Amino acid sequence: MYDKQHILEELIGIVGVDHVSGETEDLIPYTRDAYATILRQEVPLPDFVVLPKSTDEVQRIVKLANKHRIPIYPRSFGVNIAGSALPYRGGIVIDLKRMNHIIEVNEETMTATIEPGVTWDRLRMKAKEKKLDIIPIGGPYEVSPVGNFLLTNITAYSTKYCMDRAVTLEAVLPNGEIIRTGSQCTQVGAELNPYFRYAYGPDITGLFRGSLGNFGIITKLVIRLRPLADIEKNLYFGFDNLRPALNTMQKIERLEITRTCQLSNKDVAVRFILHPEQFKIKSEREKISRQLPEYSLILGIAGKTTKQIELYEEIIGEEVRRENGKSIEIKEAIRQVWDEVAEGCSQKILRMFEPYGSFGTVVGCATVSAVPGMVETVEQLVRKYGLMDTIMDEPLKPELLVIPWDRCSTVYVEHEILYDPLDTEAARKATRCLRECYVELFTKYGATHTMPNQTILRLMMPSYAQLLIGIKKLVDPNGIALAGGPYSFELGNEGGQ
Amino acid sequence: MLEDYKEYIYHCLKCGACRSAFRVYGPTCPSGERFGFDSYYAIGRLEIARAVLEDRLKLTDKTAQRIFTCVSCAACNEQCYPVMGLKPLEVIEELKAAMVEAGAVSPKVRDFLENIQKYGNPYGESADNRAKWAEGIGIKQYQPGDKFLLYIGCVGSYDTRSQQAAKALGSVLLEAGVSFGILGTEEKCDGNEVLRLGERDLFEYLAEENIKALKELKAKSIITLSPHSYNVMKNEYPKLGADFEVAHYTQFLRDLIKNKELKLTKGFKIRVTYHDPCFLGRHNKEYDAPREILSSIPGVKLVEMESTREHSFCCGGGGGNFYTDMLGSAENSPGRIRIREAYTTGAEVLAVACPVCTTMLEDAVKAEGLEDKLAVKDVAEIIIEAI
Repeated sequence: MYDKQHILEELIGIVGVDHVSGETEDLIPYTRDAYATILRQEVPLPDFVVLPKSTDEVQRIVKLANKHRIPIYPRSFGVNIAGSALPYRGGIVIDLKRMNHIIEVNEETMTATIEPGVTWDRLRMKAKEKKLDIIPIGGPYEVSPVGNFLLTNITAYSTKYCMDRAVTLEAVLPNGEIIRTGSQCTQVGAELNPYFRYAYGPDITGLFRGSLGNFGIITKLVIRLRPLADIEKNLYFGFDNLRPALNTMQKIERLEITRTCQLSNKDVAVRFILHPEQFKIKSEREKISRQLPEYSLILGIAGKTTKQIELYEEIIGEEVRRENGKSIEIKEAIRQVWDEVAEGCSQKILRMFEPYGSFGTVVGCATVSAVPGMVETVEQLVRKYGLMDTIMDEPLKPELLVIPWDRCSTVYVEHEILYDPLDTEAARKATRCLRECYVELFTKYGATHTMPNQTILRLMMPSYAQLLIGIKKLVDPNGIALAGGPYSFELGNEGGQ
Repeated sequence: MLEDYKEYIYHCLKCGACRSAFRVYGPTCPSGERFGFDSYYAIGRLEIARAVLEDRLKLTDKTAQRIFTCVSCAACNEQCYPVMGLKPLEVIEELKAAMVEAGAVSPKVRDFLENIQKYGNPYGESADNRAKWAEGIGIKQYQPGDKFLLYIGCVGSYDTRSQQAAKALGSVLLEAGVSFGILGTEEKCDGNEVLRLGERDLFEYLAEENIKALKELKAKSIITLSPHSYNVMKNEYPKLGADFEVAHYTQFLRDLIKNKELKLTKGFKIRVTYHDPCFLGRHNKEYDAPREILSSIPGVKLVEMESTREHSFCCGGGGGNFYTDMLGSAENSPGRIRIREAYTTGAEVLAVACPVCTTMLEDAVKAEGLEDKLAVKDVAEIIIEAI
């Protein structure tokens, strides 16, 4: 235990009195994210929330935390459906949103160097000034590339611009040391050439991917951007059945001409399109539903000339027709919404969780051939638990999103199970269904999540788990990072799930 | 009651859309920008509301600080509603009402409300002085038979800077030959900020007094100087039996200009940027009338800020903050953030259409040391120069 008053004074000395708080009202908001709502999980109040402005301040906070063995829970914006930024053992929440500089947008290297408090939306705006753009993800616009993308390994929307956009980074390790990865690891490299990831041996940048904060707090990230083409266009295709849609997606991705690609079922498409108020009206849902195919494949293409775009359309169209798919005729209002979602980092993506704002996400990354079975499994389990769509007054049909990884060699499959958090019984059933879905998808198809948790650590081969745990012990000897949480790389931890 | 908003509170996805404007990236929340902690944004205030509902948090002066620093600008609604169909501001204002009910009110807010109760204005000034601004410029008391009643509001009546805007508007109406009068010392606070602060009983009293005065005078058409007055008279007074039309003065003057009843012939070459007041813009969706007026003045070049129209960043004066000053005047106070944005447009004039905005933004110009570079003017003050 530590003297809170003393720690408060130390933190004030680091960040200033305006940027640290131990007041209950300021701490409460940091104890909940969407995940905690789903699992009705209560975590303790942290002791402090602190808003540092620089790497130096972050380092000093971490050193203080080490000295007194105080758990630390860093977050960029805390927008989270996984509970990975909650303060499971109290301690200090490190809110990084003041570190919001876009340090550089480099046209030559097509990279941006950003701090953890920069959002995708802001980065996109800045990148466009130099005819560049972000390589989009499925998440919303107001989250951080550091938290939302790097640390969670989250969905890529594009295999064309290489799947991994993290280049090099600077981090404060949990032991208080600073590390810079890739070509940044030398002083000269950091100043002149922080743009090469695979420098000097093993891929240390890659070590931080999916680490969720176990290995340190990212204070700078060099992230890859893409060139904005002269012509960019989204194509919309519909299929009656899942298998042909998947086959088409795989074939098209291997042509290596698409900028973005996503496959969704009708249930999620209707939610994107309708405003939440309209969505609650049965007739409105049915009207839109009648206009949509069972499965929609949305592809983004880009090129220099009209001729090039038309050629891509022709090639893609042929693949679609081979699997009995067809172009979707949609009204302008719908197209605008779909274009926004297809561009990634959108606002309307969040409508997929309407109308309740509460959902269980089943994520499984697997081979394309496994997807129909995975979908069938989830649907069966939803029926088993009797989950209902209380607006349509019928059995719930889970939303489905499929995003290809790496030329569709594997795919990211996401199901959403929606329910009203005010309905305790529905919440309980949904949570149990969610857990069983994960177990079934894992055991039957080897479907994996991008993020490890306590349960998965126990299932890993010992050498893999020990490697993660060993690295964590090396950089975090006092076990302060994410202490007690479900994503902490340590065994024997009862926190979280 | 807060219990009635359980659905909003429990359906909040914690997505953080309330913290930044989509595709504009502008800041959205004045108190959030000022203090930084999530507790000062809608995302955190909804969590505070949940804790109160679940009896995990008692209402204290510290809670009051987090809640009453909300300036009711509705930027959170603007970002959240298209996505989740929620209006977080309704929860926050309900929480304010709960705090008023519990007597857990910030001292400055208490003073604000007590002054209005005792004096009919937040400044604690005598009601007899309410119409002093109108002396000597030919503006008369409203008489039955006058076509329009010009409602000034507290800020325009008592704040020395905003009185200039009131005088300018009065002069424009006289110049245009409009048949109008003011309530003068019979005018009471419109109650918009009182309602925003959750003191609903006091609001009802003020509204009923104003409605009674208007009915006795048989006034059927009201023009307001302030969007705050416009908002409450248009949206709340009818629920209490008001039966009159109300327009903000920019809407009225825009129509006069269109119908050539008001001619703006004197031009001047100047770059102007316009700040959308929250209670005219976001709350009531009127973005065009002031712009049409400005664009019709010969020589005026209207340039837009990045955060404009529904994404306009609040001056920080709402929710009584023009008086309580709970957001202060530090570098990251909302007025100064907005002035810095206005300055980057290269405009020489920042046009406003709200006396609260005038006061807040002019103070911010001074705090930024930009007095020689950027002038804050009410649209009425610009019009009078163009007649």
